[in-house]
Amino acid sequence: MRRILRRGALVAGVAISAIALASCSAGSTDGDGGVESIKVVIAGYSPDHTPEFWNAFADTYEEQTGITLDLQIISWNDIDQQSSTMIQTGTPPDILNLNAYASYAADDLLYSADEVLSEDVAADIIPAFVTSGTYDGKFYGMPDLSSARALFYNKALFEQAGIDAPPTTWDEFVEDAKAITALGNGVVGYAQPLGPEEAQAELAIWLFNNGGDFKVDGAWTINSPENIETLEFLKSLSVEHGVTQNNPGSTNRSDGAFPLFQQGQAGMIVGFGPLQGALDTDFPDIDYGIAPMPSGNGAEPQTYGVTDYLMSFKKDGNKDAVTAFYDLYYSPDQVNTWIKSEGFLPVTTSGLAEFADDPSLSVYLDTLPNIHLTPTDDPEWDKVKLTIQQNIGLAVAPDGDPKAFLDDLQAQAEAGE
Amino acid sequence: MRVPGTQAGARRSGRRRSIGTAGPLEALLWLGPALVLILGVVVYPVIALVTSSFGEFSITGLRKGDAGLDNYAKFLTSDDLPKVIGNTVVWVGAVVLITLVLSLGLAQFLSKEFIGRRVVRWAVIVPWAAALVITSQLFRLMFDYYHGIINQLLLGLGLIREPVDWLGNPQFTMPSMIAVGVFVSIPFTAYLFLAGLNGIPDDVYEAASIDGARAWQVYTGITLPLLRPAILIGIVLNMIYVFNSFPIIWILNGSNPGYGNDTLITYMYKLAFRSADHDVGLSAAAGVFNVLLIMIAVAVYLRFVNWREEKRA
Repeated sequence: MRRILRRGALVAGVAISAIALASCSAGSTDGDGGVESIKVVIAGYSPDHTPEFWNAFADTYEEQTGITLDLQIISWNDIDQQSSTMIQTGTPPDILNLNAYASYAADDLLYSADEVLSEDVAADIIPAFVTSGTYDGKFYGMPDLSSARALFYNKALFEQAGIDAPPTTWDEFVEDAKAITALGNGVVGYAQPLGPEEAQAELAIWLFNNGGDFKVDGAWTINSPENIETLEFLKSLSVEHGVTQNNPGSTNRSDGAFPLFQQGQAGMIVGFGPLQGALDTDFPDIDYGIAPMPSGNGAEPQTYGVTDYLMSFKKDGNKDAVTAFYDLYYSPDQVNTWIKSEGFLPVTTSGLAEFADDPSLSVYLDTLPNIHLTPTDDPEWDKVKLTIQQNIGLAVAPDGDPKAFLDDLQAQAEAGE
Repeated sequence: MRVPGTQAGARRSGRRRSIGTAGPLEALLWLGPALVLILGVVVYPVIALVTSSFGEFSITGLRKGDAGLDNYAKFLTSDDLPKVIGNTVVWVGAVVLITLVLSLGLAQFLSKEFIGRRVVRWAVIVPWAAALVITSQLFRLMFDYYHGIINQLLLGLGLIREPVDWLGNPQFTMPSMIAVGVFVSIPFTAYLFLAGLNGIPDDVYEAASIDGARAWQVYTGITLPLLRPAILIGIVLNMIYVFNSFPIIWILNGSNPGYGNDTLITYMYKLAFRSADHDVGLSAAAGVFNVLLIMIAVAVYLRFVNWREEKRA
């Protein structure tokens, strides 16, 4: 009996030391100051292509540099929380893929391009993205891919409603949406996602095409007359004209608006590359067209674009490894393969040339160099964006007040400066 | 009931004496793994939570310095807090009470002999065995405005003329979430009561029937009083469990703007990662508040029902 006790105690002791060992296996710097491994945290754009590309990328990187690439792919739903926790616990990754960077640059956590981007690579990136990735005069937010939004319309529904061409003005847009809604059978003219998932994109594209912007010449212009007009127009689509799906303020993009269009239940929607890809592969019966956004106020049509970032964290001895990462990532056969597989748009001049022969992308590519982005270079935008996502749905509800919402938002943005 | 317990206790202490006592070091080694686990999983997070609640954090999660009591002040004075607390009270109160009533009936039913009882018992336990996230996601699909089976069914039966926006219309959001909360809380509660019912000796019922008691008299005079310990435990555990429940509200309320349907738990998460505050410190203060609140609520409840009296009886 006693012997068994002893042996048990031994096992228990070993267990404790194992736990203790496991908890301090961090730190992987080798003798001469360089690192043996880097941690790369990537957002999951799609469940199949993202791991496929990045696993292959990690292998190539390890072959070339001899440095282990510790890859972690996290879904968009969780990446914000997980990256925040990593910073909070003092264990940032070496490379982080996210849709924001300016707050990290403002906290002085990041390398700038001067430190980690080779000259050739820096020169190849499309200038519009360099501008959006530049905080306080330095380029911190390296674009990983981009997308542009445009108006997708269902040709069959347009034909049934007797409409020849997609709308070019807001008045035409409302008329067309009404005609399609009048077809009945639960069909709606316009699928409008203003729920928390991605509402800032829906607001931005309409706002840019009404001659408005969030920030002009360094000053916030969120509650400008054009912008108030825009949000009131967006509200009127459901409340006054009744041409949207039920309750746009509670409709998310991916599980609410996109399915309606994919099932032929919506005449128009703001879409982008991945929606195009899904329609072509999974919903071949939907005959759709892509057109520039209709503009209000006679404003010049704008292409609203989005880019995500690959930022690199300052850690002892990881500079060379990070530089090697960017060198490999921006080599044309890596970055363009990845972008193609996910259905997005290039971020480099060489990529533009390579994608030019794809007719399905010409709608976007012509406008890509002049693309209109949100002010991601201002850390305050990171918070403004969150407020739009969380609260815009209340502003477009029947009892919502678009002007008060934008006034509050302006005040919030200015208070943070 | 008490007698076997006492015997077991006597047996245990008897065995310990015959083996002798372990030295402190040996005891520590034995307790070690459990202690490490408790330290790592319970004590450390509590310390981290409290420390964070006194810190000032950037939106990136970087700690910038000490905040003193600022996070608590900001949390307690936030405009959305009264609504969120109201939601929490309604959510916990309604789910616990409805679960209690339905489970009492269900347990009574399951305690009877009938053909297929085994199947029914299994069916009742399934909602408990399924992961909450999956159950919630399924209900989200069922409640869907356009394609959900609930609207299709009600429309087909002619009970409603227009589809109901179960999850988007503020009038229906909370009741829909409560329905799901009850659905997943019933299995555990019903089984708890079933065990309680099985523990009531048959001779008590026999005596009642000899005395000519009517069914309702038997139920209120014998079953309910003897079931009291099980009911007390069921309420306490459900209170804590429902209060801390995250997935149902997070998923069913996922596409709604603002904080109109949030409870303290989802509000705490939004403060950290979704709201414009995006503030870990503020959220940690909310977390400390939540822990204290549920502890106080449970203590008040136990005091109210005279828990100690119950144990002595």
